[in-house]
Amino acid sequence: MSTPPSLAIRVEHLSRSFGPVRALEDVSFDITAGEVTALLGENGAGKSTLLKILAGLQPPSEGGVTVFGDTVTAFEPSTMLGRHGVAIVPQELALLPDRSVAENILSGIEPGGRAFPSRRQMRARAVALLAELKLDIDPDASVRGLDLATQQLVVVARSIARNCRVLILDEPTSVLTPAESERLFELMGRLKAQGTTLIYVSHRMPEVFQLADRIEVLRDGRHVGSWRRDEVTPEQAVAAMVGRELDRFSSRAEQRAGTPRSAATPALRVADLSGPRHESVTFNVAPGEIVGVAGLPDSGRVEMLQNVFGAIRSRGGTVELGGAAYTARTPIASVEHRLGYVPGERRAQGLLTTMTVAENIGVLTVKALTRVGLVRRGEFTGRARELATRLRVKTASSDTPIVNLSGGNQQKAMIARWISIDPRALLLDEPTRGVDVGAKAEIYEQLFALAETGVGILCSSSDLPELLTITDRIVVMAQGRVVDVVDTRTATEESIMTAATGAVDHTSAA
Amino acid sequence: MSTTAVPTRTAPFDLRRLLHLREAGVFAALVLLFVLGAIVSPSFLQSSNLLSVGQQVAQIGIMAIGATFVIVNGEIDLSVGSTYALAAISTGMAITAGVPWVLAILIGLGVGVLAGLVNGLAVVLLGVPSFIVTLGSLSVFRGVTLLISNGAPISLSADTPGVADFTLLGQGKLFGAIPMQLIFFAIVAAIGILVLSRSRLGFNTYAVGGNPEAARLVGINVRAVKLSAFVISGLTAAISGVLGLSFLSYVQGVTGTGLELTVISAVIIGGAALFGGSGTMWGTIIGVFFIGLLQNILNIKGISSFWQTVVTGLVIVVAVAADTWQRRRKTRA
Repeated sequence: MSTPPSLAIRVEHLSRSFGPVRALEDVSFDITAGEVTALLGENGAGKSTLLKILAGLQPPSEGGVTVFGDTVTAFEPSTMLGRHGVAIVPQELALLPDRSVAENILSGIEPGGRAFPSRRQMRARAVALLAELKLDIDPDASVRGLDLATQQLVVVARSIARNCRVLILDEPTSVLTPAESERLFELMGRLKAQGTTLIYVSHRMPEVFQLADRIEVLRDGRHVGSWRRDEVTPEQAVAAMVGRELDRFSSRAEQRAGTPRSAATPALRVADLSGPRHESVTFNVAPGEIVGVAGLPDSGRVEMLQNVFGAIRSRGGTVELGGAAYTARTPIASVEHRLGYVPGERRAQGLLTTMTVAENIGVLTVKALTRVGLVRRGEFTGRARELATRLRVKTASSDTPIVNLSGGNQQKAMIARWISIDPRALLLDEPTRGVDVGAKAEIYEQLFALAETGVGILCSSSDLPELLTITDRIVVMAQGRVVDVVDTRTATEESIMTAATGAVDHTSAA
Repeated sequence: MSTTAVPTRTAPFDLRRLLHLREAGVFAALVLLFVLGAIVSPSFLQSSNLLSVGQQVAQIGIMAIGATFVIVNGEIDLSVGSTYALAAISTGMAITAGVPWVLAILIGLGVGVLAGLVNGLAVVLLGVPSFIVTLGSLSVFRGVTLLISNGAPISLSADTPGVADFTLLGQGKLFGAIPMQLIFFAIVAAIGILVLSRSRLGFNTYAVGGNPEAARLVGINVRAVKLSAFVISGLTAAISGVLGLSFLSYVQGVTGTGLELTVISAVIIGGAALFGGSGTMWGTIIGVFFIGLLQNILNIKGISSFWQTVVTGLVIVVAVAADTWQRRRKTRA
């Protein structure tokens, strides 16, 4: 391991326990100044805990941290940033939504008097900083109106304004489109060139191998791998993360090559469907088929899914389930029709946040298990536990609060929920967002098994390799319209992106 | 973490789990208060005194059962004190006008249900926050109460037919010892526990309170669940109002002013969060008795009611602060 003078952060024998759970166990490594260090690990590996300690959001139980030679004595955000120069860009961006970009960048360090900061100076400082970072953001725009990617860049600028020397980015690309990610990478490149040390967390291997100088891997709270980028392959890194060699997942299209397409009545038929941000969308999903929906975040694919499910108001068009028209769509009616929807915003739209794992899984069985107004608890818990086992939801008990589970296990619970009503068709949005590699493979297997039983699956995702792996056909949307329907066997990331960005328009391939 | 099977929790009353519950802290405080009462005053432990506590907390307790549904929903009902008076005045006027007392009670309860329906419909149909809706209806219901009674108090005369039977509900004692009001509280509480912890409505209440959007997307009728809570709250406020009238044989337009604060305090002390989605009926019951015992001890020691108000306020803040502290310690442990 390299030694000073180029040492930015040294982590020594760091441990952190939460009650009986050891989140971090005796982790030691060095972070070299001016480099990009990628921190890898599955959900629950201890990455978040380590980042929180480095950002001063949590003290360690044992061990210590040294930043540029100074031993950290107080693990508080203000000390870590003010004295040691360590800033974090968290996954949940904490900005002041109703204030301007300039105010957000400089809030707390306003130029001029403390009580009455000078607006003119503030704007000038913000303009200078944005120019230095080559960011084309209006300093007077209110943050509420900015997209997530731009908000993230504002948080980066805010950290730089506070003279941070080490910047931690916690899964910054999980919510970004490829183009937005590129923009962030360029900024990271400029910061690195200026000598800023970057610590970066991601699940996306291609990115990691494009950006990082060093790769550190955590598994089950322990430090299990440390390489320079050129010393390791993505397969080795993934193997260290999951603790076993992952079989390369052969894509569904390859597996099913030669299987004739089912001629039966479509499980789901959508015709001329219009609603917010989408216009006359038409496609079919056969029983046992997995159809993907690709498109940029503003392509209207999420709204289209919500319209099919009845979560938002429709402006026209028809939906058929198993050949029968499904009109007057609402979530309540969709449950009765056995049409499921797993939303992409898990925390905001999926989880019943104050309830247990069993209650989250079993919520759709409550009605059927109610006798004279009372829920039959024994049977309810029994069924939920059965589903949890079947989908391999890892949880201490079925009484554990759902929010205590890792992202992957929460997502498995969300899918288990719909399996409980034996769905005819299942709509999923971003099925593996914030899910680690191991759980991802398990979720794919579950979707394949579900398709095997004749369920029609419609899966919207911004992760193109994912769509190419798990679908039979892909509907490509751009600006609210279907621009292409491609056979997954013949599709490539490039061909889908070309269609999604509107470069070509041909709807004949179906 | 590595096992895939989901373990069974066998014992329904696992002691360790029980101790981890939020209610455990309040319950411990309740026991502590009880011991304190026994130390400061020998008369505290006399059954007559303890039963009088039961008598005093019954009306607040019944209202708190309803309020728990509203608060677990993530809503608030500030109008219960006014609904209490409106129901009591309605029943009182009906009895005075010669309406049979059973029918008069039904009129009072009907008025409470109607008041809850008005609150609930305004919240779910107009989308106005319940704090604002019920702040308004607190004033409106109080005004209507004063209007229909013309500001004059109603005193039930023992000569009016049926009044003797009616007043038995509030003043009577089972086996000559247990106050009837306490019995009513026990019945309402038992129903409340059953509905909130075992029924489909109860399940949906926690789902809606914790995350209304997620609840909507799994086909829960969010509006119906919220509406039910306000109706239940109106009904329990009316039950208390009718019992209050029966207990005192007297009601006036300003009766029950400020009751909403005591009721909400009891629910909060009992561990429900104002964000919704958490809290239990047992917690509320403990909170009700906590406030009751506290006031009783202060009464026995002859401390002025002004100080009682101050102490109750402090206890609410301390209770919530202790809860926050405990939760933070848990995440740090």
